[in-house]
Amino acid sequence: MPKRSPAVELDLAISALLATPGAVVETAEGGADARRAKVPAAVAHLLPLVRDLRAMPRPQFKAALKSELHLRSFTMQAPAMIQKQTASFRPPNFRNIAPYFLVEDAPKFIDFLVSALGGTETGRYLRPDGKVMHAAVAIGDSMIELGDTNEQYPSRPMTVHLYVDDCDATYARALEAGATALTPLADMHWGDRQGQVKDSFGNTWYIATPKTYDPAQYAICSVQPYMNLRDAHKMIPFAEAALGARTSGVKATPDGKILHATIEIAGSTFELSEAHGSYEATSPFYLHVYVPDTDALYEQAVAAGARSKTAPYTAPYGERSATIEDPFGNTWFLATYLGHTEASQ
Amino acid sequence: MVAVRRPAQMEPPGADERLLVQAAQADPSKFDALYELHFERIYFFIVSRVRDRAVAEDITSETFQKALANLSSYEWRGTPFSAWLYRIASNGIVDHYKRSNREQQIDELENPLADRAELASHDIEFIERHVHFFGLVAQLPDVQRRVVLERFVEDRSIREIAQRIGKTEGAIKQLQFRALQTLRAQIGERHA
Repeated sequence: MPKRSPAVELDLAISALLATPGAVVETAEGGADARRAKVPAAVAHLLPLVRDLRAMPRPQFKAALKSELHLRSFTMQAPAMIQKQTASFRPPNFRNIAPYFLVEDAPKFIDFLVSALGGTETGRYLRPDGKVMHAAVAIGDSMIELGDTNEQYPSRPMTVHLYVDDCDATYARALEAGATALTPLADMHWGDRQGQVKDSFGNTWYIATPKTYDPAQYAICSVQPYMNLRDAHKMIPFAEAALGARTSGVKATPDGKILHATIEIAGSTFELSEAHGSYEATSPFYLHVYVPDTDALYEQAVAAGARSKTAPYTAPYGERSATIEDPFGNTWFLATYLGHTEASQ
Repeated sequence: MVAVRRPAQMEPPGADERLLVQAAQADPSKFDALYELHFERIYFFIVSRVRDRAVAEDITSETFQKALANLSSYEWRGTPFSAWLYRIASNGIVDHYKRSNREQQIDELENPLADRAELASHDIEFIERHVHFFGLVAQLPDVQRRVVLERFVEDRSIREIAQRIGKTEGAIKQLQFRALQTLRAQIGERHA
C-alpha cells in the first residue's frame, strides 16, 4: 500500500473530526483530537486548528446581519424625518406598498377585510354597472386597495404579511369568516407570533404580532406583500436596477436560494423568498407603490427590462401614474401624489 | 489554541470607541462601525457556549438587534462597549435555553455574567485570541481562504469544493494542508 501524502492524511483526520454535524466547537484539547482521529504525528499538530476554524462565523451571515441592521438603523433615524421626506409624494396615511386585489365579488371581500382583519373602509367607487371600480381599506398603518375584476386585470390571489395587535383574535375571526387554516399560530424564532390562513378568494395571509421586539422601532408596515418566487434571487438585481430598491436582511441557502429578504422601494417594503414545499410560488401580484418621481422611475424600469403597460400620465385623482410589469409578471402601479384635489376625495 | 501574546484588540477602550458610540447614538446608521469592530468577538463568545452554528447565529442577530434598538439608553462609563454587548449576548444565551425548554442546560451553561459585571480576564483573553486567529484566516491567499471557509464554515466536502472551485480533489486537499500549515506557522511566529 503506497504511503499517503501529508495532505491526504490530514484530510482523513479532518473528515473524522467533522463527522459530528452541528458541533462547531470541540472541548477536547488538540492532543485528544489527534489521538481520537489516529493521526500521524506529521500532521497531528494541525488538528487543533480545526476546532478553531469551525468556530468561525459564516461571512454570508455577517454580511446579511449587517445589511439588516443598516436598514433598521435607517428606519430608526426618526419616523418623523422619514415621514417628512416622503410627505411630498405620498397621500396622507399611505406608507406601504399596497397589494391591489382584483376579485370577483369586491363588496364581499371588503366585508372580509373589515370584519375579519380589522380594516376600515376608506373609499368605494362604482362603475356604471354597479361593480366596484376602486376601493380602499385601511388596516393598521397601511392601505389595501381592491376592485372587481375586469378584462384588463383578471383576478390574482396574493400573499400578504399582516401585522396586527392580536394575531390570535384576528386569526380566529378570519376562520370564522370562511378562511382556511394553513398553519396554526406559533411563536416564531424571529420574534413574531404567526399563523397562516387562506381566504375564500384564494389569498394567503401571514397573520402576525411582534412578541419580543418593539415594531415601532423598525417601521414595519401593517401590510407587506410577500412574494414566494421561483428563482427569487433574480428579483433582487431587477428590483434594485429597475425600481431603485434596496435589499436587506438577505438570508440564503449555500447555493444562493433566498430564504428571506426585505426589499425597500422609496421607503416602503415587500418581502421575498424562494418558493419551496408548502410555500408554493405565488401568482403575479398587483402592487401600488408611491415614488418620488414616477416619470423617472418608469424610464429607469423600462431601461432595466420592465415591460411598459401604461406610460406616465396625470390621473384626475391627483396622481402622476404609470404601470409596468416585471419579469416575474407582477404589475406595478407607480404613482406620485400631486396633492389634494377635489377628485381625490 | 497556543497563542499567548495579548492581541491589540485587548487594549483598553479609548476615545476612539467612545466617539464611535456617540456617533451611532446621534445617527443609528453609523452603528455599522461598532458592528464591524465587535461582530467576531460576540459571535465567538456565543458559539463557544452554545456549540451550534444556527443557534449562535440567531443569538448573535438578537444581540446586535437589541444593542441597536437600545443604543440611545447606553451610557459610557469607561468600560469597553463590548462589555455591554457581552451582557446582552449572555442574557440571550440563557433566554434561548429557556425558550427551548432546556433548563437543565442553563446550569451547565452557567451564565458567564450572572454574578458579575464583566467577563473574567481569561475569558476575554480566550475570545481575543480567537478573534485574532480569524484575522489570520482572512489574510490567507484567496484560494486557500476560500477552501478553509467552505470546508470548515460551510461544511462542504472536498468533492463539493473541488467542483465549485474547478480543481481536483487532490489539489483541494493540498490547499487545505497548506492553509493549515500557514496558520500554524503564523501562530507560532506571532504568538510563541
